[in-house]
Amino acid sequence: MHQLSVRSVIKRFGDVTVLEDFDLDVAKGEFIALLGPSGCGKSTLLRIMAGLESLDSGAIDIAGRGVTDLAPENRNIALMFQSYALLPHMSALENVRFPLRMRSKLSREEQREKAHKALELVKLDHLADRYPRQMSGGQQQRVALARSIVAEPDLLLLDEPLSNLDAKLREGMQVELKRLHESLGLTTIFVTHDQSEALGLADRVILMNRGRIEQQGTPEEIYRRPRTVFAADFLGGANIVELDVAKSSRSWRGRFADGTEIPVASAPGLEPGKHKFMLRKEAIAFNPDKSMTAIVGTIETQNYLGSQTRSAIRAGGVELVAVTDSEKTVTKQRETRIGWRPEELVPLQM
Amino acid sequence: MIAATPRWVIAATAIFLVAVGLYMLVPLLVVIASSFSTSAFLVFPPPGLSLRWYGEILGSDAYLNAGWTSLKLAMTTVVLSLALGTPAAIALSRFRFPGRSVIGSVFLSPLILPSLIFAIGLLIVFSRYASGPSFAGLVIGHTVITMPYVIRTVSANLADIDPHLDEAARVMGARWWQRYLLVILPQCRTGMAAGAFFAFNISFDDAVVALFMRAPNVETLPMRIYSTLEFSPDPSVAAVSTVMIVMTMVLVVLLNRVFGLSRIT
Repeated sequence: MHQLSVRSVIKRFGDVTVLEDFDLDVAKGEFIALLGPSGCGKSTLLRIMAGLESLDSGAIDIAGRGVTDLAPENRNIALMFQSYALLPHMSALENVRFPLRMRSKLSREEQREKAHKALELVKLDHLADRYPRQMSGGQQQRVALARSIVAEPDLLLLDEPLSNLDAKLREGMQVELKRLHESLGLTTIFVTHDQSEALGLADRVILMNRGRIEQQGTPEEIYRRPRTVFAADFLGGANIVELDVAKSSRSWRGRFADGTEIPVASAPGLEPGKHKFMLRKEAIAFNPDKSMTAIVGTIETQNYLGSQTRSAIRAGGVELVAVTDSEKTVTKQRETRIGWRPEELVPLQM
Repeated sequence: MIAATPRWVIAATAIFLVAVGLYMLVPLLVVIASSFSTSAFLVFPPPGLSLRWYGEILGSDAYLNAGWTSLKLAMTTVVLSLALGTPAAIALSRFRFPGRSVIGSVFLSPLILPSLIFAIGLLIVFSRYASGPSFAGLVIGHTVITMPYVIRTVSANLADIDPHLDEAARVMGARWWQRYLLVILPQCRTGMAAGAFFAFNISFDDAVVALFMRAPNVETLPMRIYSTLEFSPDPSVAAVSTVMIVMTMVLVVLLNRVFGLSRIT
């Protein structure tokens, strides 16, 4: 049985269709990222799961119970808002106790104890009596997180959980979220537009585009094997090269714009003609070995990024961007050989 | 250092500010000084200093009764203004409904329109449908002119709160009445306090509505002062006024202590 099932959900705002016949099943304990650009429908989907937004057709089940027509207060879920939405007139502890006050039958003392435990989980029990305005943004977020997990919801929803934090806090919070998910096993769905957040946290990434699922899979699948130009581009950016593909005897060969020919790994659905391929920036290497596909290129500019260096290379009549370990980067000569493992050249659908 | 503003401009500004301050304070100072007068007549400057007139007002049934009436009136007005104005402000800020802005303007109209109009209207209505002016009439009149202040201050308060609070409370399982009592109302505290302060002062101070709604056995403090001035002006008037000034200042200090005045105005 699925912990969450979204079936054929359609949502329109006026003439704009935000979700088009959307289906999603989530297993108990899964950690799901809804990833996509703004306006792709991910936030609306989250609000529909929470019951804060109505849907035009379709159905939602949570923990085996049909909740499509159930008000948010009657769904046993938690939602952490991007703005945290802490109650300003209540202390951290009272904020965390609030869902228990509303939902549990525990005594006041037991509720306080449970709220205290939740604050301990986010390492904030020493600030239990502080008010939100007396806390930093990072601390407020921990309170919001404690408040979301305290009542053991059937579904934990997080709206852009890390976007209001600075880079350093964000890293720490990523670790924290993952740890919390591993120890509590709550079925969690979070919305983000940041691919590194999605890849770093989720068991499964749902990449959304224009109200539909563009592609879904484990972070590795979705990063290494994007199926479309959109997916390749949204996840980390990549070189998209167009090759003229032809079959010669038994193997496939692709021709660059300037006529340079390279072998192309066979793939299902590959047909002769122009075809787009993805080549990750970090898949390109200088001084390729024999197992690699190699071509000659001209280094045009280089940016030193610390441990890595980014090079813009003219090769095959197109510009390729390579991000390589700085110590393995060729910097002296302009003309150089570059290469990549054959499987790194991933064919994309148009 | 290179001055951004010429010295004489700074000097002129300072003089201007002091002048405006004096202009506003002089009437208060005159009243306060007159209240400590030894003279039997309201004259300035007072010929000598004494607490005689404070003794007089404390011993005067007319003043004490009027003071008690005004206090009851102001308290009742505050309670009614809050009870009606707060939900009105919450409804106006939370719901989008047709005619919302019209209703909003109607609620705030007593702020702009002369209270005289309301007083005349009230008098006509009370003479026609009730047994003429009464304490209840005064309460209603004062509630009408003070409620807009409550609506204003509570609305300002509500405009500042995180719009997601209500949704967050819903998701946490709070029903509508729980959200109202535990989430929204506590957010209105400062606005309600400020509104109550305005309502109290306006009611306690009002002479216009009170003049029209003057009932034979109901006399408010401003009416008492007014008739004393008219028939036998003596420094007791100044003494009462000084007490009112002190009372207002105490209220301001209290409000500032509890809620922080900067958050209110």
